[in-house]
Amino acid sequence: MTGHQTLGPAAATALGQLNERLAAKPAAHLQVSGLSIHYSTLRGPFNAVDNVSFEVAAGTNLGLVGESGCGKSTVVKALMGLLPEMTRVTGQALLDGQNILGLSDADLQDVRWNRISLITQSAMNSLDPVYCIGDQICEAILAHEPVGKTVAWARAEQMFALVGLPAERLREFPHQFSGGMRQRAVIAMALALNAGMLLADEPTTALDPIMQSQIMSRIRGIHDHMRRSMILVTHDIAVVAETCETVVVMYAGKVAESGPTQDVLDRPLHPYTMGLQNAFPRLPVRGQPRKPLISIPGTVPNLLLPPAGCRFAGRCPFATNLCRSVAPPTYQIGAQSAACHYVERASQFRVAAAEPDTWRSMEPSR
Amino acid sequence: MTDQTTPRPVIEARDLKTHFQGRTGIFNALAGAKPAVARAVDGVSLSINAREIVGLVGESGCGKSTLGMSLVRMYQPTSGQISFDGDDITHVEGRRLKAYRRQAQIIFQDPYSSLNPRLTIGQIIEEPLIIHGIGNAAERRAKVIRAMDIVRIPASENIDRFPSDLSGGQRQRIAIARTLVLEPRFIVADEPVSMLDVSIQASVLELLEELSRELGLAVLYISHDIATVGYICKHVAVMYLGRIVEEGRAEDILAEPLHPYTQRLMASIPRMDPGEIPERTELRGDVPSPMNVPPGCRFSTRCPCATDLCREIEPELCEQPGGQRVRCHIHDDRGARQRPDLERPEAGRITEIADAGLLAEATE
Ligand SMILES: Nc1ncnc2c1ncn2[C@@H]1O[C@H](COP(=O)(O)OP(=O)(O)OP(=O)(O)O)[C@@H](O)[C@H]1O
Ligand SMILES: Nc1ncnc2c1ncn2[C@@H]1O[C@H](COP(=O)(O)OP(=O)(O)O)[C@@H](O)[C@H]1O
Ligand code: SF4
Ligand code: SF4
Ligand SMILES: [Mg+2]
Ligand SMILES: [Mg+2]
Repeated sequence: MTGHQTLGPAAATALGQLNERLAAKPAAHLQVSGLSIHYSTLRGPFNAVDNVSFEVAAGTNLGLVGESGCGKSTVVKALMGLLPEMTRVTGQALLDGQNILGLSDADLQDVRWNRISLITQSAMNSLDPVYCIGDQICEAILAHEPVGKTVAWARAEQMFALVGLPAERLREFPHQFSGGMRQRAVIAMALALNAGMLLADEPTTALDPIMQSQIMSRIRGIHDHMRRSMILVTHDIAVVAETCETVVVMYAGKVAESGPTQDVLDRPLHPYTMGLQNAFPRLPVRGQPRKPLISIPGTVPNLLLPPAGCRFAGRCPFATNLCRSVAPPTYQIGAQSAACHYVERASQFRVAAAEPDTWRSMEPSR
Repeated sequence: MTDQTTPRPVIEARDLKTHFQGRTGIFNALAGAKPAVARAVDGVSLSINAREIVGLVGESGCGKSTLGMSLVRMYQPTSGQISFDGDDITHVEGRRLKAYRRQAQIIFQDPYSSLNPRLTIGQIIEEPLIIHGIGNAAERRAKVIRAMDIVRIPASENIDRFPSDLSGGQRQRIAIARTLVLEPRFIVADEPVSMLDVSIQASVLELLEELSRELGLAVLYISHDIATVGYICKHVAVMYLGRIVEEGRAEDILAEPLHPYTQRLMASIPRMDPGEIPERTELRGDVPSPMNVPPGCRFSTRCPCATDLCREIEPELCEQPGGQRVRCHIHDDRGARQRPDLERPEAGRITEIADAGLLAEATE
């Protein structure tokens, strides 16, 4: 592999040992239960995440979807210990049995990058503009593994090869990279210690379709090649369909629906999931009629004053007085679960939801 | 464009070029070197009829926005011609330019920053009327109310509110109302929904379609989100590095493209149905800079099918039996006849493979 010829025999052995040690790390298991997060704001506590629970089985990908502001990044920041000081976090997130919420800075040091690593929305934010990229990757390795700089650099070269970047570009600075290359460099960094759990928060959102597809193929490669566990945050349900075994659909800080991706997309139980499906643009397939695009009228409720009942009631074409007054519990149906009072009528709702008029009659301004 | 009775286009560009003068370093300037030129739009022909929405897609930086801005004369084209209703407006200035700008409007991507937060919705929509000196206060108000009506933001409740009180989708409707008050005949919609949540995109797209149909507008719809194009456009053009490389009926371009670049572009779009996921081969390298356009076919530095002919001769747009127009030697033998000594590319024959890295190979 690239770079080996410059390593002396001792360093080559050390690199081999490091790689073996890191490769032996198992994929992580994550159990999030009852996670609630209140940001402290001037206007009072802001309930960005409310009683969220989900599980990432070891070696699987979980997709976290929902519209902007529904709390996806807040969940990710909580898991990485990156929330602002005054934020109130309750509930548990067990990473291989250990609760990683509210850890001390010292304990966080051990967890971050080593056991759980992050690929963020904007790669620029996770790279330091004043250090060359190679140094940044080495720094993470040196902080957790008893190896020298030469060995760490060689590992960084291997990570670059993994994402298809030439090793000599390790010496360059973030601003010398294009957007897509930067995003790949961040993936290389996130993989450097082969953490058992990867968090990818909208890793391709700002990129054009070709770059998106190239980054996603690498992210899928992590799964196929290294069997890590991953949470992929995105608003693109097709990306989830292609990448994740399980999906969690969030709406206004709560989990609306979750389950095996194919089941949730084929037979959504929650009206919000049905709406998202209908609103999602698809490429035409020759000879196949295509359903019209239907938007979900209305807007997300203000979480400073969350509504009493179901948070989707203001936009849901099936809402009743019960929905507007009582928050629905979560019902389990097979491997799927949904927070809706009327899950048992889901198949009926699915038929109605496919009709544009069902949603149009909701539109207040029509 | 596809009709038998060809109506006269509202807007038509012929061999349009918009180049930007790069900056020269002081040393180069002293040495008398010419600054590099970015050929952002480099020979585009395009026409749009009344009631027609033409889609324009392509990678970031390929020149879509520059083309849109040139068509509405916010950029001065370097060469070529723009006709509006048959009149050449490429070089009009002063009063005639102002008159043209009234008829040709542009909607931008960002509904959050494109509206002045200190003005009310009513004032925002009225502003262009004031700038163009149209009507008295009462007449302007009537026009504002009508425009709000068209975009379905009821004036009675909203005219005195501020943009911050509205959702992203509503703000984008206000931005559209602001362009509509001037009763334009041509609108460039540059990524009008890409900042909006998927759940509300459809309503803005639907609005564009209705406006085009009912007000007879010609619309250029620019988007990264290629799937949305299929819903409102009959005709789609694909740009690469300043030029159109393929154009035709939306269903042909989106579902069965012929150009190797369009094929990669369409394949890159994620699919909901696992049975529909196409084969994806990685493109080599990044898009070249428009300051440094490769010789021959502009796509030859990344095209997996490229041969020596591609690196020597740039193909022309060539009409195919199915009606779409494609710029590629695979689909046009004129280049090959000119240089029979050079190897000609063939559909599906891969000549160059990208080093995508192990992670990408694992899945592909
Ligand atoms: N004012 C300018 N001066 C110099 N170069 C410019 C200018 N505007 C655009 N360019 C260059 O022209 C090329 C085309 O840019 P343009 O904004 O038209 O791309 P685009 O297709 O709209 O991309 P995106 O999809 O990212 O919006 C780019 O390489 C860009 O850097
Ligand atoms: N530091 C913060 N202080 C107060 N509110 C915040 C903060 N960060 C995010 N929020 C709010 O919390 C909600 C969820 O945000 P976020 O998790 O970023 O959503 P998503 O990633 O799903 O788009 C949003 O309404 C956002 O405005
Ligand atoms: S609980 Fe009621 S309002 Fe909420 S999603 Fe179900 S039907 Fe709609
Ligand atoms: S002309 Fe050659 S390089 Fe250009 S697209 Fe066709 S095959 Fe590829
Ligand atoms: Mg986010
Ligand atoms: Mg643009």
